[in-house]
Amino acid sequence: MKIGLEVHVALPTKSKLFCSCSSISDEPNSAICPICMGFPGSKPMLNGAALSQAINVANALNCKISESTSFVRKVYFYPDLPKSYQITQTQGAIGGNGSVELESKRIGIRRIQLEEDPAKIVREENYTLIDFNRSGVPLVEIVTEPDISSEEELREFVFALKSILYYLGIDIEKELKVDLNISVAKERVEIKNVTGLRNLIDAARYEIKRQQELVAKKQKVESETRSYNEKAMRTESSREKESDEEYGFIYDPDLTSYSTKSASVQKPVYAGKIAREYGKKYGGAAKTILELIQFDKRSLELIDYAKAKWPMQNIINVVEVLKKYGHMDIPDEKFTRLIEIAKSGTPVNEQVLKQVIKGAAVETSNVGSTDIDKEIKAMIKANQKLLKEYDKNPKVFNFIIGEVAKKLKANPKDVSARLSSILEKI
Amino acid sequence: MGVISEFRKMGKNGSYHQTLIKDLKRINEKLQFLGALNESLTEGIPFTVKDNICVKGFEARAGSKILGGYVPPFNATAVERMLAKGFGFLGKTQMDEFGFGSFGINTQVQARNPFNPDKVAGGSSSGAAVATAVMKYHVAIAESTGGSISNPAAFCGVLGFTPTYGTVSRYGLIDYANSLDKIGIMGRSGDDIREVFDIIKGADRYDSTCVDTKVKGEGKKKLVVINQLMKGIDEEILSSFDSLLSQLGEMGYKVEHVSIDSITKAIPAYYIISMAEASTNLAKYTGYKYGLQRESFTEKYNAFFTGARAAFGTEAKRRIVLGTFVRSESVKDKYYTKALQFRTAITNKLGQILKDAFIISPTMPITAPDFEQAAKLTPLQTYAMDSLTIPPNLSGLPHISFPCDYKRRMPVGAQLITGHFNDYALLDFVSEWEKRFEYRFKYSLGAI
Ligand SMILES: [Zn+2]
Repeated sequence: MKIGLEVHVALPTKSKLFCSCSSISDEPNSAICPICMGFPGSKPMLNGAALSQAINVANALNCKISESTSFVRKVYFYPDLPKSYQITQTQGAIGGNGSVELESKRIGIRRIQLEEDPAKIVREENYTLIDFNRSGVPLVEIVTEPDISSEEELREFVFALKSILYYLGIDIEKELKVDLNISVAKERVEIKNVTGLRNLIDAARYEIKRQQELVAKKQKVESETRSYNEKAMRTESSREKESDEEYGFIYDPDLTSYSTKSASVQKPVYAGKIAREYGKKYGGAAKTILELIQFDKRSLELIDYAKAKWPMQNIINVVEVLKKYGHMDIPDEKFTRLIEIAKSGTPVNEQVLKQVIKGAAVETSNVGSTDIDKEIKAMIKANQKLLKEYDKNPKVFNFIIGEVAKKLKANPKDVSARLSSILEKI
Repeated sequence: MGVISEFRKMGKNGSYHQTLIKDLKRINEKLQFLGALNESLTEGIPFTVKDNICVKGFEARAGSKILGGYVPPFNATAVERMLAKGFGFLGKTQMDEFGFGSFGINTQVQARNPFNPDKVAGGSSSGAAVATAVMKYHVAIAESTGGSISNPAAFCGVLGFTPTYGTVSRYGLIDYANSLDKIGIMGRSGDDIREVFDIIKGADRYDSTCVDTKVKGEGKKKLVVINQLMKGIDEEILSSFDSLLSQLGEMGYKVEHVSIDSITKAIPAYYIISMAEASTNLAKYTGYKYGLQRESFTEKYNAFFTGARAAFGTEAKRRIVLGTFVRSESVKDKYYTKALQFRTAITNKLGQILKDAFIISPTMPITAPDFEQAAKLTPLQTYAMDSLTIPPNLSGLPHISFPCDYKRRMPVGAQLITGHFNDYALLDFVSEWEKRFEYRFKYSLGAI
């Protein structure tokens, strides 16, 4: 099976790709001007920030970046396209020939290009409205090679891509449009304009199954363009042949060619690779580390700060608690204190967290939970008879807790927690 | 001294402008060269603007029905700069639809030649040339893609200056072919054109193709005549041109004839590139955002667009069809890509010659034809009319058309070309020419 994607993601620039209108706005048709409305006489001016962000995307996806980049006009008629041509890229694209590393595979990136978003079509029952606020918002299009070979891989790829973009400050969920190419057999089916991550996975799952069933029945898969019906959760034939598309590309003579040299390039972050590395080097499950850092820069910062000094499992536990209770902004010294508490064997819970944040003292045992466990088990062995009376006399518990705590100078609460967990297993 | 300095010294305002407007309206009934008029003008040196250049608050139709009612909400950069220097915007001037024409007849309102109203004014900047030919204290902002300034300037007996591509911002120009379109100036003296050029040129943050390169004025004493361009020219034009060359010989210029076979490729290359670009520029006219509005919004969008686009004139439709064809995937390399290669080759060839010479030729192969004659020409015959003006336009080279003779009471123009960014040399040349040759004007409205 071969799956390839054309992913369109909005770039988070302050202004649009070719004019100074804000790229974020609520009131329909409020962020518009003669340029993004394609008024006769207006001309595009390239937004350097968009170019620089697109270069960073290309760089993070290991692409070869063109020394200079240029634009073309893609002509087609649709009400959402004010000039009836979209300014996009072909040969002069930002970059190409890149890849995304998955755990056990590499997905090729064919091309990265920068283009303008069309306006938004709002369909009402008896009429259609057009919101030009979106017209001219910068999009980066990421075209993959057809290297994805299962739904699981598709999922892994999409999350890896989402993570890489997240670390560049780009939120893939803000606006995501995907053209999905799937061929289970030889014939290629393109599902156009799938919006959002969930729909992307759902559409792929449906289409894979549909094609597999046709193949199993020895029926021919039609090479065609389909669309995804979100409500019915199925792909449907669009009744158009891809070969019918004729855009008549010419280079856009209102724009020149732009050097890619001056863009400041950020070092990309590959969360999957980091998680695997840290797991191997410092302990802890790579999967757990990945879950923490994939879409959370702060988690990665905290882990990086602590990783060489304390056991990874303690760090993970503390970060999980911080995340759960919304204290990721914790200062270093308090973070350190929490890890020390965890390391001492005292579980870091909401109460401990509150105490540490407040700066109050937390009573900790200097003994680890293994010592407590050992002592409890010894007590149980020595007091089998007493324990049989447990039902009649619950104070037996307190006796054991008291004895162990006294002997080990441990926190009775910790002992109590260990005791219940041990008894459960028995 | 140019009319601008003269007018400044006189310091006219108020009633002067109102009288001029009244006179203009009267003469416009006969010559039909004006579009939207600024009736409330009371001060500043009057300037007109070709109707494909935006002036805030004034209808800009670019000669097309499809733009009827389009009132731009912004000024073109060139207009903005003129206004900032105290020039007074007088009105818009007629033109062939989107610049598609050589005689000013591809539009509803057809400007007439001031020397003889039965004859065309040229095109596509027909109205700009007429305005310059009838008013004394005035300059015209016009535009050329393949000769739209030189051609009507020659037919109407005025100066028509087309600067180096990229020296004047195109922001606010309604596009014909963006890689060829140049805003330029028509006037009655080299001094006036120089003054306006200095105002409107220079980089603009709204036009990426506009640059700040320093403009020079390196005079040349050698004049090159390209043999291939001298074919198909009327006898009487040739005799005017010979007489011009001998006068220039007296002024110390040396004439040299050269052959450039590839120059004949300029016309097809120009038409392929300009039509390809035009067909994309004209795609935006779909009848729902500006210009001609359709009454019913109930059709499917394709039918709706088709209905709106029926308002294009015949020549516009022809260029959309041909332009769409030459950039379509299956033939693009054969036409569009090849035309771009020819453009580069021709530009390099002309550049070599222009290092130490001007190129000179008549501007048009004929004097202004009658409306009837012009209408009878086939599209190909009409395109051939541009054979002399296309080479510098295709290559983005600065050129100027200046009156050099009168034949059967109609003006004859000659065209001088120089190298990129050597624009001042052309203006120096005409200033020198003006010392020896007096331009004739049939009207001089506003003269005091
Ligand atoms: Zn805008």
